[in-house]
Amino acid sequence: MKKIIFKAAAICCALSLSACASKKAVSVTPPDGSLDKCELRFSWWGGDDRHEATLKAIDLWSKKHPDITITPEYGGWDGWTEKVTAQMKGGTEPDIMQINYDWLITMSPDGKGFYDLDSLSGTLDLSGFDEETLSFGRADGKLNAVTVSLSGRGLFYNSEAYSTIGAAYPQTWSDLIALGESFGNQDAYPLDLDIQSGGTAWYLAVVYIQQKTGRQFITLDGELGFTKEDIRDALDFYKLLEDNHVIRTVKTRTDEDGNAALYQSSEFIGGKVAGVLEWGSAVGKYESVLPKGVLETGPLLADENGNNSGWMIKPSLLYAVSGHTKHPDEAATFMDFLLNDEECAVILGTTRGIPASRKASSALEKSGALTGLSKESQDILNETDTITISPYMELSRMKSFYNTAIESVSYGTADTETAAEQMYRSVTEYLEKIKK
Amino acid sequence: MKTRTYRNPVGVSRYTGLLLISPFIIGALLLIVYPFTSSFITGLTDGSSFVGFENYRHILSDENIRSSAAVTLKYAAILVPLKLIVSLAVALLLNMELKGIGIFRTVFYIPSILGANLAVIIMWQYLFTSEGLVNQLLEAVGLSPVSWYGDPNAALFIIVLLRLWEFGSTMIIFLAALRDIPRELYEAARVDGCGRTRAFFSITLPQIRNVIFINLVLQTIAAMQEFNAPYMITGGGPLGSTRTIGMHIYEEMFTFGDAGTANALSWLLFVLIALIVLIMYRTTGRLRREDR
Repeated sequence: MKKIIFKAAAICCALSLSACASKKAVSVTPPDGSLDKCELRFSWWGGDDRHEATLKAIDLWSKKHPDITITPEYGGWDGWTEKVTAQMKGGTEPDIMQINYDWLITMSPDGKGFYDLDSLSGTLDLSGFDEETLSFGRADGKLNAVTVSLSGRGLFYNSEAYSTIGAAYPQTWSDLIALGESFGNQDAYPLDLDIQSGGTAWYLAVVYIQQKTGRQFITLDGELGFTKEDIRDALDFYKLLEDNHVIRTVKTRTDEDGNAALYQSSEFIGGKVAGVLEWGSAVGKYESVLPKGVLETGPLLADENGNNSGWMIKPSLLYAVSGHTKHPDEAATFMDFLLNDEECAVILGTTRGIPASRKASSALEKSGALTGLSKESQDILNETDTITISPYMELSRMKSFYNTAIESVSYGTADTETAAEQMYRSVTEYLEKIKK
Repeated sequence: MKTRTYRNPVGVSRYTGLLLISPFIIGALLLIVYPFTSSFITGLTDGSSFVGFENYRHILSDENIRSSAAVTLKYAAILVPLKLIVSLAVALLLNMELKGIGIFRTVFYIPSILGANLAVIIMWQYLFTSEGLVNQLLEAVGLSPVSWYGDPNAALFIIVLLRLWEFGSTMIIFLAALRDIPRELYEAARVDGCGRTRAFFSITLPQIRNVIFINLVLQTIAAMQEFNAPYMITGGGPLGSTRTIGMHIYEEMFTFGDAGTANALSWLLFVLIALIVLIMYRTTGRLRREDR
C-alpha cells in the first residue's frame, strides 16, 4: 500500500510540473485566410449604455455573417480584471476581448500573451490608424492589441446642483477649493474623488503636481518621475480638498455609499455630490442616471496663469485576440467590423469614446452622432498640452500603493510626510521588480 | 459439521479491495492530492521560474499580510463563540414541543440557505450605511448613529453580524444532538428536585459536548477561510480592517496576478488552520472523553 501511495504522489508531482511547463508551450492556430462557420466569444466591461449598443452591433454582425456566431460576455468594471486574469491563467479566455492598457504589461510582457495581430493583416484593416496610436498596443514589438479610442479623465458637473447653489464651474484649482464653502453650507460637495476601482483621488493629485512641476509622475518606460517631496505635496493637496469640504473624506464616503459605485449612490443621483472626474469614454454611466442634459462638461483646471498642462490621456480601451483562439481569421474579421464598419460605428456611437479609427470616426461625424459629453471632453483634451499616461501607473499593485497612502492621510493614521515616504519606497521597489 | 464454502463468481484477487475503493482514490488524487501538490509547487515559483522559499520569506516579513492574519484571528475569535452560543440558544428553543415547530425550524434556517449572495449583500449595505435602517433605529431610541462602514472596528462587526445571522447549519446540528438526549435523564433529574438551569449544565451540556466540539472546529475553519462577506460588503476596508487572509490570497492571485505568493499564502493558511485545530483537539481531549 505504501508503495502505491508513493507512486501516486510521484505521478501527481510529475503532472503538476508538466502542467507548469505546458502553460508556456501554447499552440497558436495560424491564419488560413478563409472564414469558416464557427462560434466566437467576445467579452467587454462597461456601463449599460455600452452593453446595449454592443449587443445591437452584434445583432448587425449576425445579419452580415450568419455563419459566425458571437457569444457576448459582459459586466461592470469591478472585478473584471480578476475575471479575465483567471481566464487567461486557465487558457479559457474569450476569442476577442476588450482589454485595458496595463494588461499588456501584466498579461503579455513578452508579447506572446495575445495573438500577434500583424499576422492577421489580411483580414484586419489597420489603415485608419496612425502609427503612434498603434504603438500603444505593441508588447515587446508585437502588435497585441488595437486601440479603440484615446481618452482622458475630464470633469463633469451636475448643472442643476450648481445652479441651485449659484456656483459657476471652476476654472482654476483655487476656484475649486473656494467652492467647498458654498457647497458646504448646503451640506453638498462640488466634486467626488474615490479610492475604490476608479482611484480618482490620486489621479487628480498627480495632475495638480504635474502641472505645477512639469514632471511626469511615471514615464512611459516605467521610471518614477516624482520626487518624495512631489508625492508629499500631492498628498497635501488631496488633504486640502478634504479639509475645505470640496470632496467627502474617505470615511464619510464609505459610510454613505458602503462599497457601491458612485453612479449607483443616492448622493450622486440626488445631486448632493455634484461633480465627478471620469474618462470621457465611460462618462455615459453617470450621464444616464441623471435627467437628460443635466450632466455637463467642465473646463480642465488650470493654475492662476491659465496653464492647464498636466492632464493626461491614454488608450482608454483596446481590442485583443486570444492567443488560444482556434479561429484567428474569423476573430480578426469581427474585430475589423467593430473598429472600421461604418454601420457598426454609428450603432456603437461614443460608448467607447471617440473612435481612434478614422473610418469609424468619419462615419460617426457624417451621421451627426459625434456629439455629447464624450466628444466635448475629447475636444477639450485635444486643445490641451496632454501627457500620455504610463501603463505602469495603471497597474493594480501600484493603485493599491496610492490608495493606501490616500486612505491613511484621510483617516489621519499617517502624516503626509510618512505616507509619502512609504509610497515612494513601495513604488520604487515594485517598478524595479516588474521591469526585471 | 461440514463447512460450506462459497465460490465468488467474479473471483477475488488481492486487488479486488483496491478496485472497490478506486472511485474514492481516483477522486482524492484528482481533486485533493493533485491541486495540493500543484499549489505547493506554484508557491515555490514567481509564476514562471523557481525561487525556492522566497515567497514564504516575503510573506512572513510583509506587514500587510501580518495585519490580515491578525484580522482573521480577531474575526474568528469574535464570531465563533458568538455563533455557538446563539445557535445553541435557538436550538434549545426549537427543541420544545410546540404546535407548528417545523415552521419555526424552517424559518430560522432560511438565512443559511441565502448565504452571502448579492441580494443579501445589497440588503446589508442598505441596513448599515449612514442613513440606513440600523442607524435610523438607533436614533429612534435616542442613541447616536454609528459609522458602520467608515469605522475600522465597526466594519468588522458588520461582517460578524452577517455570518452570525446565518447560524442555521450549526443550529441544526445542535438540535439533532439535543433530540438524541434520552428524556429519562431529565425525568429522573426532575424527580430528584433538579431545576432547569442545573439540568442544562449537568445533563444537556455534558451530553452534547462532542457536538459542541465538532461545531467549534467546523466554524473555526470556516471563519479562518472567510472571503465572500468582506470582499462583497467592505472590499477589505477601511484601512484594511476587514481584509482577511482569504481576501489577501484572492488579491494576490487575481488582482495583482502573483500566483507564487497567493499559493504560498494558501499553504500558510492551511498550516495555521491545522495548528489551531490540533491545539483544540489537544486542549479538550480530557473533556471529550466518553464516561466509562
